[in-house]
Amino acid sequence: MGSLFRSEKMQLCQLFLQAEAAYSCVSELGELGLVQFRDLNPDVNVFQRKFVNEVRRCDEMERKLRFLDKEMRRRNIPVVDTGDDPEAPLPREMVDLEANLEKMENELREVNANAEALNRNYLELTELKQILRKTQGFFEEAEMHHGSLEHSTVDDSLGLLEEGSRGPSLRLGFVAGVLLRERVPPFERLLWRACRGNAFLRMTDIEEPLEDPQTGDKVSKNVFIIFFQGDQLKTRVKKICEGFRATLYPCPETQAERREMAVGVMTRLDELKTVLERTNEHRNRVLLAASKGLKNWFIKVRKMKAIYHTMNLFNLDVTQKCLIGECWAPDSDLDKVHLALRRGTEMSGSSVPSILQKMGSHQQPPTYHRTNKFTEGFQAIVDAYGVASYREVNPAPFTLISFPFLFAVMFGDAGHGFLMLLFAAWMVVRERHLKANRIDSEIWQTIFNGRYIILLMGAFSVYTGLLYNDFFSKSANLFGSSWHAKFEVDGYLKSSKFVQLNPDPHANATLRMYEGNPYPVGVDPIWAVSVNKISFSNSLKMKMSIILGVSQMLFGVVLSLFNHLHSRDRMGLLTEFVPQLLFLSCIFVYLCGMVFFKWLSFDGSPDEATGAHCAPSLLIHLINMCMFKYSDDPCSAKTFYSGQKGFQTFLILLAVACVPWMLVPRPLQAYLREKKRPWPSSMPHEAEEDESDEARLASAHEDAEEHEGLSDVIVHQAIHTIEFVLGCVSHTASYLRLWALSLAHAQLSEVLWTMVFRNGLGQSGAFGIVMLVAVFPMWAVLTVSVLMIMEGLSAFLHALRLHWVEFQSKFYKGQGHKFVAFSFQAIRDMKNFDNMLDS
Amino acid sequence: MDSLSFNINGGYLEGIVRGFKSGILKRTDYLNLVQCETLDDLKLHLQSTDYGNFLANEPSPLSVSVIDDKLREKLVSEFEYLRNHSVEPLSTFLDYIRYSYMIDNIVLLITGTLHQRHISELIPKCHPLGSFEQMEAIHVASTPAELYNAVLVDTPLAPYFIDCISEHDLDEMNIEIIRNTLYKAYLEDFHSFCKNIGGTTAEAMCEILAFEADRRAFIITINSFGTELSKDDRAKLYPRCGKLFPDGLSQLARADEYEQVRQVAENYGGYRTLFEGAGTNPGDKTLEDKFFEHEVKLNVNAFMQQFHFGVFYAYIKLKEQECRNIVWISECVAQRHRAKIDSYIPIF
Repeated sequence: MGSLFRSEKMQLCQLFLQAEAAYSCVSELGELGLVQFRDLNPDVNVFQRKFVNEVRRCDEMERKLRFLDKEMRRRNIPVVDTGDDPEAPLPREMVDLEANLEKMENELREVNANAEALNRNYLELTELKQILRKTQGFFEEAEMHHGSLEHSTVDDSLGLLEEGSRGPSLRLGFVAGVLLRERVPPFERLLWRACRGNAFLRMTDIEEPLEDPQTGDKVSKNVFIIFFQGDQLKTRVKKICEGFRATLYPCPETQAERREMAVGVMTRLDELKTVLERTNEHRNRVLLAASKGLKNWFIKVRKMKAIYHTMNLFNLDVTQKCLIGECWAPDSDLDKVHLALRRGTEMSGSSVPSILQKMGSHQQPPTYHRTNKFTEGFQAIVDAYGVASYREVNPAPFTLISFPFLFAVMFGDAGHGFLMLLFAAWMVVRERHLKANRIDSEIWQTIFNGRYIILLMGAFSVYTGLLYNDFFSKSANLFGSSWHAKFEVDGYLKSSKFVQLNPDPHANATLRMYEGNPYPVGVDPIWAVSVNKISFSNSLKMKMSIILGVSQMLFGVVLSLFNHLHSRDRMGLLTEFVPQLLFLSCIFVYLCGMVFFKWLSFDGSPDEATGAHCAPSLLIHLINMCMFKYSDDPCSAKTFYSGQKGFQTFLILLAVACVPWMLVPRPLQAYLREKKRPWPSSMPHEAEEDESDEARLASAHEDAEEHEGLSDVIVHQAIHTIEFVLGCVSHTASYLRLWALSLAHAQLSEVLWTMVFRNGLGQSGAFGIVMLVAVFPMWAVLTVSVLMIMEGLSAFLHALRLHWVEFQSKFYKGQGHKFVAFSFQAIRDMKNFDNMLDS
Repeated sequence: MDSLSFNINGGYLEGIVRGFKSGILKRTDYLNLVQCETLDDLKLHLQSTDYGNFLANEPSPLSVSVIDDKLREKLVSEFEYLRNHSVEPLSTFLDYIRYSYMIDNIVLLITGTLHQRHISELIPKCHPLGSFEQMEAIHVASTPAELYNAVLVDTPLAPYFIDCISEHDLDEMNIEIIRNTLYKAYLEDFHSFCKNIGGTTAEAMCEILAFEADRRAFIITINSFGTELSKDDRAKLYPRCGKLFPDGLSQLARADEYEQVRQVAENYGGYRTLFEGAGTNPGDKTLEDKFFEHEVKLNVNAFMQQFHFGVFYAYIKLKEQECRNIVWISECVAQRHRAKIDSYIPIF
C-alpha cells in the first residue's frame, strides 16, 4: 500500500478487449473500481457513439422503473431494500429484463386506465348523487315558501312579459351541475354579466372532497343549479358552464323521478365500489410483486448504463473485432486489474484473452491518494485548496496533526474541548448507525464527514486547555502553585487592596515567594487571579505563536526539499531551497532563538544581568538589527552578548544576498540555453531503458518551460521571489492570529462566566438556588452556541487559512487533477437514490 | 430603482435569471442538434445541456408536439418561479410580459370559434403563459362589446380593449384589427410603465419595446397591401412609442407598396440594414427572420447592464426564441427535411 506522503504511482494502460468480452470486463472493472478511463473520441457527439442504442434502452428501462416507483409511492407500498448488490446482468439478459419491465409497465398502465375509467364513473355518480340530494333542498325550499323564491322570479318575468303573449314558453328551464370551488366567483360574475342578470344561480358546497380520477388529488367542488328562461339563454349558460369546465348532469323535474333516479344511482354506486376495490387490490398485488425487485433492477440497469457509457469511450480497431480503451490505474494494483480482466473474459466465455498493456505518456497522470475513513477528511481539506500535482509531497499527513493542533491553540479551553471531544466521539462510535440513517441535511453531512477532524480538534483542545490552564475560563490548581504569598495576614495584607508577590527567586527565605520548580504542566494557576494576567498571557502566547509559525514555515521549506529531490531538480534545490532556508533562518529562526534565550536566562531578580526589567525587547532588537542601529539608552535595547553586532549584521547581509540568489539564476540559465541553441534541436531524447516517469515528466516539464520564453521566466521568477520574501514577513505576522484568537476565546468565556454564571453563584439561600437554575441554562446555551460553535468555526477557518496559505505556499503546487475511478460504488450506495427518482 | 438598492428586492431574482440565461443553448449546441438523425438523438443531446432530464419520463418514440409542450412547460415553470418570488414593481412588470400572450390567446380563441372549432380543441394551443380564468368562456361573446362586457372586463386587458368596442361584429378583418389595437395599446402602456420606472430599466426596455412597436408598424403596413383596410384605419393601428413616431409613421401611413416602406426604413439607420439584407429569393433571409435576429440582438444586449428589469423580459423572449429554434430543428429532423434546418436563429 502506498503511503499518504506521495500520491500513488500511476500507469497509463491500453486495453484490448474482444468485442464480446468487453462488456463483462468493464463490468468487472467497475466492481473493482481502480481504473479511470480516458475518452478516446472526445470529438464524437453523444448520439453518434457506438453503444448509444444500448444506453437509450437503459434509459427507457430506467423510465419504466421510475414509473413503477412513482406508482408504489402513490399507493404507499414500501420499496424493499434487500441490501444485496447484484452484478450487472449480461447483455443477453438485458432483453429478458426489458421484456419483464415492459410487461409490468403495460399491465400497470392497463390497470391504471381501468381504474381511472372506473374512478371517473364513480366520480360522476357521486356528483350526480350530490346534485340530486342538494337540489332536493332547493326545490323543497321553493315549495315551502310556496314558491316564494322561484315564483318571485317567475312572477317578475311574468310581470314583464305580461304585455306580450302568455304562453307555455314561460316555463323556467334549469341546468344543474358541479363546479370546482375555486372557480366559483369568476363563474358567478361571468354568468351575471353574460346573461345580464337574467339567470338565477343557487349553489351549495359538497362537504366531502372528491377525488380527481386523473391525478388522484382531493378537490372540493360545489353543486349549482341555474334557472333561466328561453333557449338563447340556455345555450349561453351551457357555453359558460363548458368554459369553466363544469360538469352538467340531467336532473329530472319532478320529485318522484328524482327519487327514482337517486335510488338507481345508489345501487350503481355500490356496485362500482366493489369493482373499484377489486381493481385496487389487483393493482396492489402487481405493485407488491414489483416492489421486491425494484431496487435490484435499479442497480442492474444503472450498472449496465454505466458500462455502456464507459464502452462509448473506447475505440474500435480496424478489424472491428476488438475494442481499444485507455485507462489510468495505480501501478501497484495492476495485478488486480489483470485478474478482473481475466474474470471478465472467462465470464463472457470468450476464448481470446483481454490484454492490458502499459503505455508511456507525456501527460500528467491523475493524483490518487489512498485514504481511509480517518484520513479522508484531512485529504479533503488539502484537496479543497488544490489537488496535489502528480507525486508531489502531500501535506495531508502533516495536516493530520498540525491542523487540529493549530485549531486547539486558538480554541484552548479544556472544558470546551472536552465537550467537543464527547460530541465527536459519539459520532465516531455511532458511525455505522448514523451512516445508515442517511440524514440529508447538508450541514449534518459536512459535520459528520469531518467527525475525525473534530475528534482530534477536541482532543488537542483539551491538551492546550491544560497548558493554558483554562477550564471553562477557570484555572485549576492541580499540582500546587509554586508561588506562596508569605504576607502577614493582619498587617500588610489587610491594609492593601492589591499586593504584589515578590518575583525574585534569589531573595531570602522570608521574602521568597517563588520557589521550587515551575508548575509542571502549563501555566501556573496563580496567574488566573493576578491583575496582570492578560499581559502575562499575551506575552506568552505571542511568542509561542511566532515559534509555532516559524517552525511550521520552516518545515514547509524543508518539504520543498523533498519535492526538488524527487523531481531531480538540482537547480531548484540550489537556487530555491537553499536561499529560502537561509533567508528564513537568518531572520526568523534567529528571532525564535532570541525568544528562547530570553525565556531561559531572565528571571524576577532585581539583578542587572538577569533581571527581567532589563531583559532585551525583542521587537526593538529585530528592528535595530535590520536598521544596523544599536543604542545603549534603555537597558532593554542593549546588546546582550558579545559580538551581537557583528553576527546580526552578517545575518542580515546573508539574508539580503539570498534575494538575488533566488531571483537571478533561473532566468540566467534560460537565457544561456536560448543563446546556445538558436533554433530548437530535433535531436531525439536518448531513450533510456530505466527512465522513470518522474524523470520523463521532469524533462517534459523542462520542454514546456523552454517554450515559455525568456520574459515569462523572468516575470515568473520575480513573482516567486517577491512572494517568498514578502511572504516570510507577512506570514510570520499572520501567525499572530493564533495569539489573537486564543485571547479572544479566553476573554469571551471569562466574560460569559462573570456576567452570567457568577450572578447565580453570588446569591445564597433559596434565592441562590432559583437564580442558579435560571442562569445555568443561559450560560450553557451561550457556551455551546457562541463559544463552541461560532468560535469553533472561526478558529477552524483560521486554522484552514494558516495551512492553505502560510504552510502550503512554501512547497505545495496543487496543480494536479484527481483520479476518479470508474466504480459502481456510487450506484451501490444509492446515496442519491431518492434524488434521482425525484428528478 | 438605482443600483444601490436594486438588490434588496431584485437581487435574488436577477441572479436567478442570469443563471437561467447561461443555460441558453450556445452555437455549438445548435451545431450538434442539427446533426441529429432522430428525435431520440435530440433528446440525448438536450440531456447534456441545461434542459437535463426534462424529457426523461416521456416514452419513446418522441413527437415534436411533446417536445414543444415540455419546452413550454419548462419556460412557464421558470416564469412562475420568478413571478412568485417577485415584489412590486417587478411583479407588475412580469405581469406585463404576460399580457402579450393573453392577447394572442384571445385572438386565437376568437378566430377558432369563428371557424366553428370546438373550444376544447383550441385550449391546448393557447400559450400557457397567457391563460386566464375566463379564457375558456370566451366563445360566449359574439360581438366585441359583448366580449368586453362579459369576459374581458375582469382581466387586466380591459383598458386596452376600450378602443375596439365600437367594432360591429367579429369577422376575420375585425379580429386582426382588434389584435393590433390591443397590441398597440399594450405596447404603449408597457412603454410608459417602463419609462415611469426609469433608470436602467427604462433605458433597456424602451429600446426593445420601441423596436417591437416599429416592427409591428412595418408588418402591419406590409400586410395591409391588397386588403380593404383603409389608410386611415391602418394609421390608427401603429403603436406610437417607437423610433418611427411621428415622422416615420406618417410616411408609412401614406405607403402603397413595399418599395415605399423600404424608403421609410432608409431614413432610420437601424432598420435600413434589416431591409437591405432581406429578400424573398431562396437562400435569402426573410424580413421576418431579420427582425427576429435584431430582436435577439437587442435582448442579448439587455444582459450587458445590471440592476434592471429588462433582463427578465429579455430572458423570456430569448427562451421563446430558443423554443422556436428547437421546435424548428425537431420538425426538420422528424420530417427528414434537412434543407432548411439551418434557418434557426442562434442566440449566443
